[in-house]
Amino acid sequence: MLSRVAANLYWFSRYLRRAENLARLVNVGSQLQLDLPRSMRFAWRPLIETLGAADEFDRLHPPGEKQPDEAGVIRFLLVDPENPQSLHEVVRQARELQRSVRETLPQDCWIAINDLYLYIEASTDRAGSRRYRQEFLDRVIDSCLRVSALLTANVSRDIGFQFLRLGTAIEQADMTSRIIDTAAAGLIQPRSEEDAEAFREMQWMSVLQCLAAYQMYRRHLRQRVSAELALQFLLKDRQFPRSVLFCLTRIQGILPLMPARRPVQLALNRVLGSVFDADPARVLQTGPSVFMDRLQVELDALDGALRQSYFPN
Amino acid sequence: MDWTGYRSPTWDELIGHDGRPHAAARPLVDYLASLSRAELAERQLAADVTARVMGVTFTVYTEGRNVDRMLPFDLIPRVIARAEWDRTAAGLRQRIQALNLFIGDIYAAQKIVKDKVFPEFLLKDSVNFRPQCVGIRPPLDIWAHICGSDLVRDGDGTLYALEDNLRIPSGVSYMIENRMVSKRVFPELFETSAILPVDNYPAQLYDTLAALSPRPGDTPVIALLTPGIYNSAYFEHCYLAQSMGIELVEGGDLFVGDDDVCYMSTVYGPRRIDVIYRRVDDMFIDPEVFRPESLLGVPGLIRSWRAGKVALANAPGAGVADDKVVFAYVPKMIKYYMGEDAILPNVPSYLCHDDKERAYVLDHIEELVVKPANESGGYGMLIGPRASKAEHAQFRELIKANPRNYVAQPTLSLSTAPILGDHGPEPRHLDLRPFVLSRKDIYVTTGGLTRVAMKKDSLVVNSSQGGGAKDTWVVDMDEVS
Repeated sequence: MLSRVAANLYWFSRYLRRAENLARLVNVGSQLQLDLPRSMRFAWRPLIETLGAADEFDRLHPPGEKQPDEAGVIRFLLVDPENPQSLHEVVRQARELQRSVRETLPQDCWIAINDLYLYIEASTDRAGSRRYRQEFLDRVIDSCLRVSALLTANVSRDIGFQFLRLGTAIEQADMTSRIIDTAAAGLIQPRSEEDAEAFREMQWMSVLQCLAAYQMYRRHLRQRVSAELALQFLLKDRQFPRSVLFCLTRIQGILPLMPARRPVQLALNRVLGSVFDADPARVLQTGPSVFMDRLQVELDALDGALRQSYFPN
Repeated sequence: MDWTGYRSPTWDELIGHDGRPHAAARPLVDYLASLSRAELAERQLAADVTARVMGVTFTVYTEGRNVDRMLPFDLIPRVIARAEWDRTAAGLRQRIQALNLFIGDIYAAQKIVKDKVFPEFLLKDSVNFRPQCVGIRPPLDIWAHICGSDLVRDGDGTLYALEDNLRIPSGVSYMIENRMVSKRVFPELFETSAILPVDNYPAQLYDTLAALSPRPGDTPVIALLTPGIYNSAYFEHCYLAQSMGIELVEGGDLFVGDDDVCYMSTVYGPRRIDVIYRRVDDMFIDPEVFRPESLLGVPGLIRSWRAGKVALANAPGAGVADDKVVFAYVPKMIKYYMGEDAILPNVPSYLCHDDKERAYVLDHIEELVVKPANESGGYGMLIGPRASKAEHAQFRELIKANPRNYVAQPTLSLSTAPILGDHGPEPRHLDLRPFVLSRKDIYVTTGGLTRVAMKKDSLVVNSSQGGGAKDTWVVDMDEVS
């Protein structure tokens, strides 16, 4: 397998998974907003930061000047051509990557991703409006899952497939940790300490929903949602496929199928160790963002080791 | 389909002047006559859907966007009798053999120049002559391993060679796909007629490439070098790489080591490459030797090739014979190198560097087709009878300013074949591009790619200018029941 092709497969599956998570994140934000009393506001800022688009946002809307309304923020996150992290841009990248590895993936995948891209292009005007947003985001999530399903159902389990799986796993681990970070930063701007307490639970519920984890959480933990248990579930659950630990364990299973590279194994061991050792209660006490920042750095190092080992240049 | 109103202004590939089909085409014509218009439309639709599903596209770059376009496919095949094809194939073999001898001579002793059969100044001005290749002897002394020759038929039925593409000829994948489509659409005819198969090409091409490996005995590592996804023939590059089971690589995937060996970067580390089927033009193939700004090529590739560590097909420099002026000398080459007369006639050419011939061209420009020597894709040419007075004057000036760069040919009355039009069969002009593979023996495709002008009366068949394609049937008459 050519390094370039492996790299493109890896990035293709990362962008695909990123697009899906991005759509979920915006969806849950919109939903949560509808449930909030008038006295409270949904804070979009942490969400923009989570997606790594804060610099671009500030450049377009300098702090202190008039800030865009909700529809404007949503448009920025989904379809603004000025935002290199927008959903539109992420899907465009996935499509370009797929185009360059067309000979290695099934034709259906190309048709599906092309269809999604054209749908987003055609919907840029409507994506901001509340009325169509739900429909738009559902369609995006469905299309992403459809491509994933085509890959799982129809692609031979060769080394190229392992790079697709690696990309998906590392992107989900990364996105899950980012979304936890957002929740910790506070999605709701309360007026009083009392309000904050009341909506804390709601906030973690949203995060679970965002990662399609709420139902599984209830089924497996059979308890009401608490910050500590939600964190435990999203970080360390061994069975839920979007938990950080699950994704890392999956990577551990893939590595023996690839040419052995010591730096990759070391980087994985390190981040796995951090997740194993994490105690949710303590993480909450010290402020989750400290822990999540470290996790992000270690995931970055794993990504770097993978790239350096299998596709340098 | 109703043939009664069908009349071609010239020679037609299916229907004779008397309105009756040629013998080889009779089963097809009769069969089509038995189908209703609705049945035909349904089959054309099936053909389009099949082509779309198979992803038969070429890429056109317009207004900063890449569009994958379908190559228009016409349902009605073009039919050639096997006896005629065998003769034509013999002519092509003879031609490519002479061309390879010529290229080898030009980069070595240049005997043909010393013997005054081929004028030296033509070589000096040729934009496709590569001084960097002088003194190199490629494996088997073959330079043009893959050749696509364009053939046209005149109004009197004579088949002529029009040009030889020795650089990076394309279109062979359409030939194979067209056959897959027509087999799905006309299975009945394949049962009753002896239509010779074409799908052997990728295996033949693989053998041609494998024979060049500098490490004979071992299974060679072969790659197709593509300029990438924005190239108009990218579909074909993918198709050929897949059907031969070889790697599809871009310049950035390859590097040449200090040992002069060419490697590709894989997830397992560097892997040696033995043979490269390059679909990147000479000038872009190695920035160390040719265009330094090229990002499509591989620095050091020519060094590796010269050292015999990697084989390139086609060999750099092979394009020296892919020139509309050099083309005019092919019959002389055949005589000079092989002592034979050309089996396949050349389209007569007037060379503008010759005073007498130039004078004739300037006087008769209204009747002639004038072509620049080194353009392809049908660009930059003048079709005299269809051009305006101003265009005639413009080309007279162009010729006077740079006579060596222009060739003129009589305007042939290009043959036609019926396409499925809105109101039944309509004649359209066409040509034929067979592909010829040279190794120890020479392989010629069975028929080739028929390119057809989809517009009424148009003589330009290039896909970049609105041409389409047809399946080409070589039919064995002895086996027709």
